[in-house]
This record gives sequence, C-alpha cells and structure tokens, in this order.
Amino acid sequence: MIQNKLSFHQSSVSLEIIGLPDYSNNENKDQISIISQWKLTIVDKPLIEGKIEHLGPIMDAFYIYSNLLIKNEIPTYESKLIDIKADNLHIHNIVLKSSKPNVKPLVLKIGNSLLSDTINCFDQLNESPKVRIKKTDITTKIPKKLRFGLNKKVKFFNFFIPPFIAICSLILFSSSFIYFYSPFENIEKKEQIKSE
Amino acid sequence: MTIWKLRNNNPLRKSYVTNNIKLNEFDALIRITVEMSKYLYPYIREILKSKEVIEENSVIWNDFNKRFIELIKERFNIDSMRVKKLLNQAENDETIIKSLLILSFCISTQGYQKLKSFLYDF
Repeated sequence: MIQNKLSFHQSSVSLEIIGLPDYSNNENKDQISIISQWKLTIVDKPLIEGKIEHLGPIMDAFYIYSNLLIKNEIPTYESKLIDIKADNLHIHNIVLKSSKPNVKPLVLKIGNSLLSDTINCFDQLNESPKVRIKKTDITTKIPKKLRFGLNKKVKFFNFFIPPFIAICSLILFSSSFIYFYSPFENIEKKEQIKSE
Repeated sequence: MTIWKLRNNNPLRKSYVTNNIKLNEFDALIRITVEMSKYLYPYIREILKSKEVIEENSVIWNDFNKRFIELIKERFNIDSMRVKKLLNQAENDETIIKSLLILSFCISTQGYQKLKSFLYDF
C-alpha cells in the first residue's frame, strides 16, 4: 500500500509526516490519520525522526518551552524523551533521548530563529486538515516543575483554609455574647443603692 | 484614522488619551499585529538570528536597535521609568528579544488566538 507523505516548511526547518488514511472512517485518499513515521529536518543539524508516540511529547515539549521562554527568566523543560534548556537568551540546548538501549542522547544547539521555525512547522501540522493527530491532555502541557508548584499551592491552601474558617466562625459566634460595659447603667444602680 | 486614534491609548506615549479600548478594537489590533508579523517574519527571523552569534557585532541588530531607540525617543515619554528602561541598551535586549519571539510564534492561522492568550498572560 502506498503511504501518503506531507511536508511542512518554514525557512530552515521542515517536517515530514508519512502515514495512511483511516479507511474505516471513510477518509479521503490523501488524508493521514495513521502516522507511521515523521522526520524533522533542521538545516545544519542531524535529522530527527521517530515513531508516532514520540511526536506528541516532542511537540508538547517545544510548545511548553516556548511559553516558558516568553514568561520565565530561566526556561527549562525535562521529560523522559526530551530536555530543553536555555544556554542564554539566544541559544537553546536540546537533548533527545533514544528509547532504544545503549543509544547515546542526541544533543542539539539551536538559536531563536530555528526555534521559531520549528514552532511554526508544528503549528502548520496542527492546523492542517489533512493530518489528524491525537491532541494530548491540557494537564500534560504543564511542565513537571510547575505542576509541583501548583500542588504545593493547593496543599498550602488546604492546610491553611479550614483553621482560618474555624477561627472566623468562632469569632462571629462568640461576638454575639459579648457584654459591653455601660457606665449609665452603673450610675443608676449606685443611685438606687443610695436612695435605699 | 481609527487605528491612529487607538494607538494614542498607549500610556507610554508623549501625548495619550485615557479612553478605554473596546474589546472589538483590542481584537482588531491583535489581528493587524498578527498579519504584520506574518508579512515581516523573514525580517524578524533575521534580527533574532543576528543576535545568536555572540562574537559578531551584528550590523542587522545594531541598525534595528538604533531605529527602535530613535522611534521611542521621538514618540514616547522619555521621563517615564518604563521608557527609560526601554532606552537603556544594556537592559532592553531581553524585552526586544521576547517581543520579537512572541511575534514570530504567532504567524500561523491560529496566531490570533495565540497572541491573545500571550497578552492576557502578561
């Protein structure tokens, strides 16, 4: 069976998707729903290729890292498959770890221009009506470190909120029983004693 | 004319008006920015690339930075601390690079949504 091939280009980066349409869903001949292979070519860098299960995590890594780069001062992304760290504001260090044993990780250094080319290639793939890729869960798009921070915050609130509400309700409840000293009442009582 | 009026809402400008921008006007400005960055992507990319080689004193970057500072001095209120920070060549690199990166990430068809979410997160 002849496989379909689709390419997405952006300046110095190109992404090639190879796969088949899902005929059980009555899809067109030129559609790709079952991706068998993908290749990411960056000019002057080694070819990056892999299986379908690697494409999603790598795309997520690039998207999360680009978001962190814009928002954070020290952007870092770490996962089983890929690590991306910033050497400085202009150069990014990518470590691609092979799923096969005894294969050394591939280390790449790319600049901001190649990073934006890569992101734009992934955008083209996401927006292409001819390729259907499973969208990953939003929670997976939050890096581990941030997720840890979020859990920490939630735990802190869970720890702090119940005693705070308890103290507030105690104050509100006990305030209804407060006895206010009234000097006029005392004077009246003294006058009564004297008259007696 | 409307765009010219809208840009006067920028509080960093020498003379500005405090009219609140309506949501549809905000959306329109984002759409214009995305379309402009699509058109200017090759230039944005070259400016970003020019900073990647540290040893080279890039002509492209120097020209861009010079023009950027000229425009700010011409139109912005230079007494403001925020504008002073933008004019400081030692400090403005990060702001410029991050702004250019945001523009370069938003050139796709969905770029409008991306830029909008970036701006809301700021």
